[in-house]
Amino acid sequence: MKLKIGIYGLTSCYGCQLRMASVKDILEISNNFEIVCWKMMSSKGEIEQCDIAFVEGSVTTEKDEEEIKMIREKSKIVVAMGSCAIHGGVQGSLLGEDYKKIFKEVYGENSVDYKAKIGEPLKKYIKVDYNLPGCPPEENEVVYYLATFGMGTYPEEKDYPVCAECRRNGYPCLLIEKNEPCLGPIIVAGCNARCPAHNVACIGCRGALQHNVAWFDSLAITFKNRGINKEEIKKRMEIFCKQSEKIEEIIEKVFG
Amino acid sequence: MKIEREIRNDHLARIEGKAGVVVEIGDKINARINVTEGPRFFEVLARNRKYEDVPSICSRICSFCSIPHKLTPIEAIENALSIEVGEQIKEIRNMLYFGNVVESHALHLLLFVLPDYLGFADAFSMAKNYQDLMKKGLLLKNFGAMVQEIIGKREIHPENPVVGGFGKLPEEKEIKKIIQGGKEAVRASIELVDFMVEYEYPSFMNMERNHLSIKPYSGYGVYGDEIVASDGNKFKINEYKNNIEERVIPYSFSKGSYYKNSPFMVGALSRLVNNRNLIEGSAKDLLNKYSNFIRAENCFANNFAQAVEMVYFIEKIIEIAEKIKIKKEEKAKGGKSGHGFAVTEAPRGMLIYEVEIEDEIVKYMNVITPTAMFLPMMERDAENMAKGMWNNGYRDVELIGKKVEMAIRAYDPCISCSVHAVKK
Repeated sequence: MKLKIGIYGLTSCYGCQLRMASVKDILEISNNFEIVCWKMMSSKGEIEQCDIAFVEGSVTTEKDEEEIKMIREKSKIVVAMGSCAIHGGVQGSLLGEDYKKIFKEVYGENSVDYKAKIGEPLKKYIKVDYNLPGCPPEENEVVYYLATFGMGTYPEEKDYPVCAECRRNGYPCLLIEKNEPCLGPIIVAGCNARCPAHNVACIGCRGALQHNVAWFDSLAITFKNRGINKEEIKKRMEIFCKQSEKIEEIIEKVFG
Repeated sequence: MKIEREIRNDHLARIEGKAGVVVEIGDKINARINVTEGPRFFEVLARNRKYEDVPSICSRICSFCSIPHKLTPIEAIENALSIEVGEQIKEIRNMLYFGNVVESHALHLLLFVLPDYLGFADAFSMAKNYQDLMKKGLLLKNFGAMVQEIIGKREIHPENPVVGGFGKLPEEKEIKKIIQGGKEAVRASIELVDFMVEYEYPSFMNMERNHLSIKPYSGYGVYGDEIVASDGNKFKINEYKNNIEERVIPYSFSKGSYYKNSPFMVGALSRLVNNRNLIEGSAKDLLNKYSNFIRAENCFANNFAQAVEMVYFIEKIIEIAEKIKIKKEEKAKGGKSGHGFAVTEAPRGMLIYEVEIEDEIVKYMNVITPTAMFLPMMERDAENMAKGMWNNGYRDVELIGKKVEMAIRAYDPCISCSVHAVKK
């Protein structure tokens, strides 16, 4: 029997779903699954019983909250797809701001019929089984996740940083050679060091590395050695994953 | 008003983002589009950040148009800081931007619009019966994606375009790939236009309206600093606040825009209504051949307009690629403080950015997206559809609901964009 899949979007840019929709050979891949609901792509289907739910976006409205709880109830496995679902995403970096003040700044004294809040990751509301990182995730990762589930096994998250891929490719180190605040040492790999490959410092879109690895300290200490200050690195990391509980720990480790 | 029938769809399928529609039928017929996607406050996110980081944040407003949401803030920042990039950078940016328009139009027509025309719930089921059409659509989508991958270095949210230029310029052999892929894409895009004209627009949808677009710097391009309206009026981008008024809609997280106190349209159709004489090449021939398909008063003409634009932009990409000789170039530099504006033509219409920078830190940003601009007009056309159907004797509310959705889809709304939230 084909695995049943649901693909859902909460508040986000819809880039993870677009990434999924534009995977090469998606038409053939989709033949191996039964897609029970994918609102972005199809007018048939609602939130229904399924084996695996891929959920993009952060919980930003009451409706999002209702939906994610319903999705959890009806899905055997829930995958948080992309930075918004995993860490709250760029909009999640507003955490700590006075919501009423921002709302007033944008909508004035007017009120809007629906209730909203600052974007939060799925894990604040439900148990998440797997994270599929990226902003958006890479094509090969989407295929890897689908394939492992399809084979009856499960995907493993990477436990090494972007630096590892950058070194393997032999790109010049932006941190050491150009003193740029490249977040490669502390961001989870999987993008094959996409940005350092074209001389752009890692901005951290994939989120903080979730595992403690042996050689982490020697890499990350580079920030300190290069004279890049703690606040700058922290602020840069917070662009995409302010709500990751790993940030404090990492900053503490690097800058002590 | 006494409501006899109500059509309600809380989550419209096959659009980008989350919105619903309610149609009330009584002695009058009303339609409301509820944007329920949560607000994301990008203007607040950009504030107090280094200007270099801001375009990467902005691109996350929307995935379908992540290039416009990268290149437009870059342009506004460069204008603010008097950073002058050379011709080569401008041409490469044009290719990148055009590539995004091609992919976005292809996705919209293929995945969202054509299943309606052909009576399918989605492109997956449509593909089984219309393999050839699907193949053409995917070829166009893939061509646009390839251009973005080669120049932007990522199809969605590319980080290679930066203030002052690019992290890395494309290589000669990559440019050749664009030329090769382009030839096939032109053919497919022309065939798609021929396919689109098999569908007529419902005449009860006709309604006078204003169309706003830029006056391009060159050709039928996407960059400019002047906005033109189909009523003959024009104004400079730095006067946008005096001409485009935004209002809060109580049932929507998106605001709606008004020009001269009325709803207006932006997008492919508006561009062709205002700048049709600037179209060249095969697209010009197609416009002559199917001249009565560009209809300013009917929103369904937007789908045809998108198909024609694809032909133009693919040919332009090839033209630039054939001419360009990539030479090494340092990133352009400029001042540290200033106030700048930018307007470009995103796939769905005009996109406006305004930014104020003090000592390299963004202090103020304002964005008006195409969907926030055309939202009131789109709502009116949703209503026109319900009225037209009802007055023509249709009583099947499910069918009316489907047709209302088609009218909404014709605009290619981008709901994620619309709720970026605009600050006065």
